[in-house]
Amino acid sequence: MLASARSWGIYLLRRLVYLMVSLLGVSIITFSATRLLGNPVYLLVGTTYTKEMVENMTRELGLDRPVYEQYARYMANLLRGDLGQSRYTFNPVVVDIQRRLPATLELATYSLLLGALWAIPAGALAGRYRGSLFARLADFIARTGVSVPNFWLGLILIFLLFAAFHLLPPPLGRIAADASPPPAITGWYTIDSLLAGNLNTLWASLKQLVMPALTLAFTTSPSLFQITRNTTEAVYSTDYMRTAKAFGLSPWTITRYALKNILVPVLTMLAMTYGYLIGGTVLVEVVFAWPGLGLYAVDAMNHADYEPIMGVVLLSALFYILVYLAADIINSMIDPRIRMEGI
Amino acid sequence: MTPGQVSVQLAPVLHRPSAYQRLVTAHGALRVNLTLGLLLAVIALGLIAPLLPLPNPIKPDPFNSLKPPSAEHWFGTDPNGFDVFSRTIHAIRTDFALSISSVLLGVLIGVPLGAISGYLGGVIDNLINRVSEVIQGFPQLLFGMAVLAVAGNTLVNVVLITAFYNVPVYAKMVRSVVLPLRDVEFVQAARLSGNSPLSVVFRHIIPNALLPVVSQFPLSCAYAVQMIAGLSFIGLGVQIPIPEWGAMIQQGANYVVFSKWWPSVFPGLALVLSVSLLSSLSDQLKVLVTRRA
Repeated sequence: MLASARSWGIYLLRRLVYLMVSLLGVSIITFSATRLLGNPVYLLVGTTYTKEMVENMTRELGLDRPVYEQYARYMANLLRGDLGQSRYTFNPVVVDIQRRLPATLELATYSLLLGALWAIPAGALAGRYRGSLFARLADFIARTGVSVPNFWLGLILIFLLFAAFHLLPPPLGRIAADASPPPAITGWYTIDSLLAGNLNTLWASLKQLVMPALTLAFTTSPSLFQITRNTTEAVYSTDYMRTAKAFGLSPWTITRYALKNILVPVLTMLAMTYGYLIGGTVLVEVVFAWPGLGLYAVDAMNHADYEPIMGVVLLSALFYILVYLAADIINSMIDPRIRMEGI
Repeated sequence: MTPGQVSVQLAPVLHRPSAYQRLVTAHGALRVNLTLGLLLAVIALGLIAPLLPLPNPIKPDPFNSLKPPSAEHWFGTDPNGFDVFSRTIHAIRTDFALSISSVLLGVLIGVPLGAISGYLGGVIDNLINRVSEVIQGFPQLLFGMAVLAVAGNTLVNVVLITAFYNVPVYAKMVRSVVLPLRDVEFVQAARLSGNSPLSVVFRHIIPNALLPVVSQFPLSCAYAVQMIAGLSFIGLGVQIPIPEWGAMIQQGANYVVFSKWWPSVFPGLALVLSVSLLSSLSDQLKVLVTRRA
């Protein structure tokens, strides 16, 4: 018991070191992208500039200092939570991001849940009954999901559900124009409406969520479906499952054994999908005028404002790494083999 | 037994089925021919597009904008009055050229990098591995946007940023092929007979990684097309009037709410068709890799 606890500790410690290394890598990449690929000075001075302006701006940004010193300053700012300032909203990037993060989180979370709701049961069934009509159909749907670009699917849904059949309100933002957003507590319109006890707002915000969440669920769930199907199939053809069946264990017990083994890869994929979604909603946010991080980055881009984009990039990368870590830790709780890696 | 008899007996054993035959055995002739045939047709259509009797894809006709599909304009016209059919066909050139060149670039950098990292091992290997992981966790489109905002919105930069994401894919793949080969006899023999490490890697090890790279290639192209189309959709990369599917979908996007679906739907269908053909080709090619192992 003691040895296993110690090896678990070593495992967690190693994960944390990886986390640090990944974060360092992320910061180095974003730093080099802004400093080495182009000269941000020219973005800041505009199209008509004098040599003097360029020199002043270079000094102001510290770009005349050696690279390691620039990086140290960049890191120091990051650690203080300073991501720079947006040059068209005039807010610190951190403030803008805080304001817009709930919109993206809400959309990403509902998309993930919606995708998982279909992909995990369907994947389990398709893995259990490989070659069945259902398995083929589900496989076809998953393949389509991979091939369809999300921004285009979003437009198709707008055409079908709004323009042609008027089943849903105009696809503009998080809540219909004739309803007002709920009082901000969490920033999640669905949760805030519930907290305020206002079912009309809840209904109005859910109706806005349907199309973007369906779009993202359909295009991000295929990998979840495939991993569930493949692991289910692999687990059910193992020796221990055959033995369990031969021993006459109840179907319930057998399913429980199987689930425990299927869970680990599925959880990892869920985490990866969630991590991907935070940075992957950009185009869908553009299509549905969803005022989240992606739209913020696109707006910034249209104003030649690079610091907000870098801020969003950093945040999404950080989110991805953290979700992945969380999945690793949960997995090590489920599967003792993972936490014994340390020995 | 004379030597002649031996060779007669060995002949059927030495006969190896061609790659195409192995694909057909694994997936059935229909699937293989359909995928290959359609993909070749798409590429051929793109190649001969300028020779076809199509309307000029970059000639605006403001008096005929947003006309629904008709005998004259098969896929209708877009807000600028461009012929959507002609543009959809011409866009094959843009999208395939950009995606293939960016994946090729990724292969050219990733393959040697992976081979060296797997062959040398140690610190370099660890470093390349960690960097690959970090890159793969990056929000690709967002980072692409950031880079294009800083480095300038040019097609060359679009190709570079797409290639950047392909480098770790191929580095990892080649590394996993190289690692078990490091101490195999033929590699040791090559090393002991005085070949330099570089020549061992390039002449004796990398050729073994060829099949996995080839089978991954179409899938990478599929992702690259999606990335390039996505960037163009938000106004980066390919600019109007150059025909490109993502930019075309963007042109029509604001009119979908008014039930004018054709400027966005048709280029999107072409995009979906190409992506699914490329990824199913990759899928089918995987058989060649696993069979040999």
